Formats: sequence, structure tokens, C-alpha cells
Amino acid sequence: MRTRSLGLTLAPLLALAPAAPLEGGEAAGAGAAADTLEVTIKAIPGLRFDRVRFQVNPGQVVKLTFINEDPQDDMDHNLVITRPGARLTVVQAAVKAGADKHYVPDIPEVLFATPLVQGGESYTLTFTAPAERGAYPYACTFPGHGVLMYGAMYVGIEMPPLASDENVPPGQRTIADAQPPPRLRGVSYGTEFPAISRTFLPESGPASIAVGLPDGQSYNFDAGVSYLRYAWSGGFVDNTPHWRGNGNAYALVVGQIYYRNKVGFPLRIGARDSVGVVKFKGYRLVDGGYPEFRYTVDGVEVRELIRSRPDGPGLVRTFEIQTDQPVRFLTDPDGGVRFEASAGRWNGSVLELTAAQARRFTVTMIPPADAGGAR
Amino acid sequence: MIRKLLALSPILGLAVLPGEASAQAKGSKATYPYRIETIETPEGLVPETGGLDFLPDGRLVAVFHHGEVMFYDPQAKTWHVFATGLHDPLGVVAISERELIVAQRPEITRLKDTDGDGRADVFETITDEFGMSGNYAEFTHGPVMDAEGALYFSLNTASNNGPVRPIIRGTYSPQGRIGRMFSAVPYRGWVMKVTPDGKTIPWASGFRSPNGLVLDKDGNLFVTDNQGDWLGASKLFHVQPGRFHGHPPSLAWEPGIHTIPLTIPVPILDKMRVREAVQIPYGFFANSPSQPVFDYTGGKFGPFEGQLFIGEMNHPMIMRVILEEVNHQLQGAVVPFIRSEELRLGNNRLAFAPDGSLWVGQTDHGWVGAKGIQRIVWTGEMPMDVYRISLTTNGFDLEFTKPVDRRTASDPKAYQVTRYYYEYSLNYGSPQHDKQAVPVTDVRVSPDGKRVSLKLAELKKDYVFQLDMKGLVAEDGTPLINSTVFYTINQLRLPGAAPRPATASVAGGTSGR
Repeated sequence: MRTRSLGLTLAPLLALAPAAPLEGGEAAGAGAAADTLEVTIKAIPGLRFDRVRFQVNPGQVVKLTFINEDPQDDMDHNLVITRPGARLTVVQAAVKAGADKHYVPDIPEVLFATPLVQGGESYTLTFTAPAERGAYPYACTFPGHGVLMYGAMYVGIEMPPLASDENVPPGQRTIADAQPPPRLRGVSYGTEFPAISRTFLPESGPASIAVGLPDGQSYNFDAGVSYLRYAWSGGFVDNTPHWRGNGNAYALVVGQIYYRNKVGFPLRIGARDSVGVVKFKGYRLVDGGYPEFRYTVDGVEVRELIRSRPDGPGLVRTFEIQTDQPVRFLTDPDGGVRFEASAGRWNGSVLELTAAQARRFTVTMIPPADAGGAR
Repeated sequence: MIRKLLALSPILGLAVLPGEASAQAKGSKATYPYRIETIETPEGLVPETGGLDFLPDGRLVAVFHHGEVMFYDPQAKTWHVFATGLHDPLGVVAISERELIVAQRPEITRLKDTDGDGRADVFETITDEFGMSGNYAEFTHGPVMDAEGALYFSLNTASNNGPVRPIIRGTYSPQGRIGRMFSAVPYRGWVMKVTPDGKTIPWASGFRSPNGLVLDKDGNLFVTDNQGDWLGASKLFHVQPGRFHGHPPSLAWEPGIHTIPLTIPVPILDKMRVREAVQIPYGFFANSPSQPVFDYTGGKFGPFEGQLFIGEMNHPMIMRVILEEVNHQLQGAVVPFIRSEELRLGNNRLAFAPDGSLWVGQTDHGWVGAKGIQRIVWTGEMPMDVYRISLTTNGFDLEFTKPVDRRTASDPKAYQVTRYYYEYSLNYGSPQHDKQAVPVTDVRVSPDGKRVSLKLAELKKDYVFQLDMKGLVAEDGTPLINSTVFYTINQLRLPGAAPRPATASVAGGTSGR
């Protein structure tokens, strides 16, 4: 990442900024360094700042590093801090300022500003926070961006609850949005948790479905064989390698795999020991986006919904099987987790269920406390 | 990779079609009456377009390689996410605002928004009854839906540049594994049909990279295939059910064939194969033809109702195909349509909007190309173009959209005709063999000036006839911009047989059944 130097055209504007050492940390002086607040704000996809607010003391030196992480090559952004209540005034005036002035208008409402920063580049702005307490908005003033891309610097006052913070874009008034998790990288545009990414995954078949759960756990359901192959925690998947070039590479499993299926297809319906013919039928999104998988075993429909264990790491798999035959669920003692079931009887590592019990039961997979990944 | 490199050189040499590119691009007096507009896509979306269609309410539905299914409102110019997380979706059929059918790598999927919140909540597997070796080139193209509700899709063969993964889906065939592009798992290199009651049928074999399917109004299925091993040039097939279309590895899945397909002698394969309706000369103006689409706009897109438009990946171009029936077989010609610097590369998907504009979805996913969506709008003026070309017993009848200037058009020297053939072999592509000039022995211009009958010294079956008419102008002075026509002769017009005019109705559906 390169740091772009300040454009000459902007220099006179910045000179307006009161008591602002314009550039370079050294201007803040060695004595003030200990009190310097270092803040990093990134421009991220979807016309957003990753950080939509921060607090600072009046008169404190702020070293603000602005990074444009928007992957659109031609999407420039800046960051302009305004007087309280002046965000829209500045945003509107910016259009007339033009690209030569980096869309920073020459008006007193502008306090501090970075130049336009190209994608993949950064700029460090060092300034002294105003002495007057209040909420100082910041925005990208590139035409069209300012209505979506903004936040606020709180100088010497408490921040209101995020959900009701008028200085923050409505879409970012939740914790998840205010700090978008790095887990959502290399997935479809518009992906939210619970997240689905059908892709090429290592140690799996070519029809794999990666599912990311909101609490940081993920699993791989291989639609080629209709069973959960492995589960991990720490991150989701990153398709960047798979999307690059001809598409040969696997997607990355981000995090640590804590469970690996060793028994293959786990269900046995009826007395037979063979698996039977398993057909994948698709999935339905339930309860806000959790995929409930559907597949048939010799024509018997199975529904399987996998969610996070509510009281700790691990997964709860809810099965619904419409059959008049007994059902067995095979587990793998060396798969990395301990199994518990809501119904049935354990015969060694095999859970035995009556037809009635099989109508709906759960199998809970619990990683050992020291499994590392699972939080 | 070799192909990619080869493919690049013609881009640099855009001037190969004399007069054409320059006349269109520079917007000279002969401005072609079509306008190209670029559709903005959301920040953060990588618009590698895999499929386009229109919802009944007029909104566009687009699917993108990174797994998104999105709606675009052309009036409000807003985008909406309908679904995410699909694997390389490469085609979409809009059933309603709440139901779509999408082709993705592992399956054909029905997406439904059952609660009406604008997001898909049901992802129903219509079929996954085909194999996946995990090879990157095993794309799933399509689907298209016929009047009865049957679906057709095509399965790309795998590339020798990539592996067969340790874990595959489907039966492995060592016989099918052999080949530059191969078919190690079921029905790679096949066109598949899903009947309205849900049965999956391997429908036709012998395809290599069938990146484009379309049905005409009569239910005839057309598929493009890409130049490479066994394809001397790129091709447009009129798909014949149950038959073999020329690329052998897929024969591994043909019941009754137990040998290694590549060991079947070429003369036998040559006899077995269905001839393409049109060969698309490689490099000259097309390298990777993509999706074809019929103009059923009722004239909203200009004078070419019933004809086919085909996208092209490596050139800023859309092609046009003119078909006719000769001896009960469809054959015909390909001509450039739009070739403009305003058009991007990577023209992978085409769809006509209800207003008659042609929407073009672009991709560069692992290939030469570009990203995004553009649309082509007819300005309403009549272009000066070859409207139709029809084989006669002794030459060609050319019909123009406007009366030609009689003086220039009556001169035999205004027409340079060459013929050549592409060899059918396991080689990657083919040079133009036996290339020879064909003298024009007679030219007649019809009284209305719209038809020119050329008599040629020779007509030859299994050859491509290339007609260059660079100097031709309309009576009103408009130059003929797209002045090169490539006609594939599979069948000769027999003397005495009533010449059927090269009407749009052959493929355009007015012939009735």
C-alpha cells in the first residue's frame, strides 16, 4: 500500500484548518505524541466507512490514517471532517468544488480533509481536535458518496447508543455493520450471515456448500453426497483464489477445522447397513437465512437444519425424517467432537432411533474446550 | 493458455475487416444506427455476467460469476439482490418476479421467493444428474425452456490444463478422460434435457465448449461451440437429439460405445457427426462465440426479425446469423453486426428487453473479456446491411435492407469471393484449407435494387464461402458497413428444387407446425 502525498491544489484549503498541523506526525511534536490518538478509517465496498464514529478529547492530536479499500479501481474517496451539523452543507458544496480541489469546498464549515485517495492507497491526516465539545461529522465528499458514506468524531462528549445515532448511516447502526466482519471476504456481493457460498473446497467434492453462521462457525455440506463433511471456526471462506485465473484453485477455508466426518453418509433408514440411494434436493432458508437441506434416502425425505450450539461452540443438527422405519445415525468418535442427541439410544457410536423419534431429533456436536478454533 | 495467446492477436489487428471497424468506430457519415449504452452496476459487485433475462414486469435479472442473482430496474436504475452464494451461475430463465431457474456448476436450480420479501428462500435442485470431476472447465451453460416447459442445458468438457479432483461426483470413465478437452464423468460434452415432469435425459453428444443455447419459436435448439480440438472453427449447431456433434470424448457416455472415443477412426467420426449449420471463421472476426439469441422483437431492433445475434468474447462485437433451409437442413451465413469501440469485450450473454433493446452481459472470468452490462438500442434508422443471403443453384442471392447503388453493385469486381474448408481432426483449430478465389461470372440487380443475384464459377459442398463487398453503397450513398459474409455450404441447392427464400421464417417460426 502506497501513501499518496498531498496534492498541491489542496494545500491552501487545509491551511484553513484551525490549529491543524497539516501533515506528518512530527508536526504534532514529541511532547504530544503520547497523547496522540491513532485512528484508522477505511473506505470499504458499498460506499461505507468501516468505522462510523470515534471519540477524542478536546485539543487532542489525532493521527487519522485513511485507507481506501474499495476494490473498484476507479473509485476514489476522501474523508472530510466538518463543523457540527454541517455535513450536508459541505457535501453539497463539494460538488461545485470539483475534482481539481479533491471535492473539498473552500468554506469555513470544512475543518480537516484528506485529498482523494485511490483504491488500494492511503493517506495520513494529523490534526488537533477542536477545543469545542460536540459531534463533528465526517463524510466522503466525492459527488454522490456523501449521502451514504459518513460518520462522526465525538469530541469530549459521550456517544449516543449506536442504534439511535443520527450521525451514523442507518444501515450501519448495528454492531455488525459498524465493524463489518473480515469473515465476509471473497464471497458474493450482498452476502450476509448466515452466509452461503457454493464453491470448490479442499477435502471435499466439487458440489460443496460452505455455510457461515453468525457466531463465527462455518461448515461444509457436500451436496454431491448430502452430508456435512467438516466444520470450522474463526472465519468463513475466501473465494479469491478460486475466482482468480481459470478458476482451478480451491477456495480458502478461513479458520480452523475442528470436525471432520469420518463415517461418510451418517444415516441408515431401516435395517439395511448400506446407505441406499441419496439424492440432494436443495435447501430452504429458514429463521433468517439458515439453510435447511433436503435430500432423500431411497425416496425417504430428510430435512437437516444446522445451527450453532446456543451455549458454546459446536453445532446442533436438527433432522426431520418422515419414515415408518427405525433410523440409525452413525458418528465418528475420532471426528473431533463429542455427540449428544435429543432422542434415541446410543449403541456405541451409533444413535438408534425409532421411527417416531426420527420424525424430529437433534444431534449436537461439541468440540473439546481446547479445540482451539471454536470460540 | 495457448488459445488465450492466439486469441489476443486478432484483437490487436482489428483492421482485418477493411473499412468496417473504422467506419463504425469513427462515427463517420456512415454512422451505424445503433447506440450502445453502459449500465452502471453497484460498487463492490464484480459484474462478471453469467446470464441475463427479463422478468415479466420488465426488470432485468442478471446472474454473476461470484454467485449473485440480481434484479435491475431500468427505469429507476436501481439494483436489488435476489440471491447470493451460487457457484458460477451461467444462465437464468425468469419464470416470474418470484421464481427463476438458474444454471450453476453443480446443478440446475429453481429459486423461489415464497414469502414475497424480494429474496429467494427456496433453492430447489431441478437436476444434478451429471458428473463433476472438479475440473474448472466443467461449466454448466443454459438453461433454456421450451413451450412445454422442458429445459435444455449443456455441460462443458473438462480441460487438460486442469485436474480431475480426488473427490468427484459421478462415475469415472478412463476412456472419456483421454483428450485435450475430456469427458471423464457423465455427460460432459452433452446437451441435456429435463422433461416437464422432471426426468433428466442426455439429449445430444459431441460438444466441446457449448457456451450458448437458444430455442427458436418452433422449438429448434441451437448451440454454439468453440474452436479447439476437433473444431476447426467455432460453430453454430442446430442440435439433433440423440446424435453426435463432432467432439469425441463425450461418446464415452454413449451406450454401445465401449472403445476409447479418440481411437475411433476419423472417417467414421466424420460420418457420424452432425454438420454445424454455420461455421464461424476463427480469428478473422470471432474467437469465442457465446450466447445466441433470436430477434423476436417485431421490428423494435431493426430489420432483422427472426435472425440470430451471437455474442463474442474476444472482440468488441456482436455477430448476426442468417439461416435458410436447403434440402431440409438449416445452413447459412454469419456476418458482423455491431463492431464498435464503444462495445466492451467479453460479450458472453444476450437478452432482448421488452422495449426491443439488446442487453449484453460481459465477463472476463478466466478469459479474454471485460466486465459489466451494456445495451444496444436501434435508433430507428434503416442500416445499410445484407438482409438475407440465399444459396441458389449457381451462386447466391443477396438481399439488402436498402436499394443498392446500381452502378457499383452491377460490377462483378465489387464482389470478391473466396472459399476454403476447415479440417475435422483432433488438432486444435484448423487453417483454411484449399483456399481459392471463386470468379463471379454474372451479377444481376433486381428492379427494386434490393436483390443482387451472383453467379459463381463454382459452388462446393463442405466449404465456407466468403463474400467481400467492400465498395458497395446504398442508392442513398450509405456504405455497406458489414461487408463480409461467411456462408457455410453443407447442402447444395439442387437444380429443379424450388428455391426457398432465405426468410426469417425458417428459423423464425412462421412456417408453422
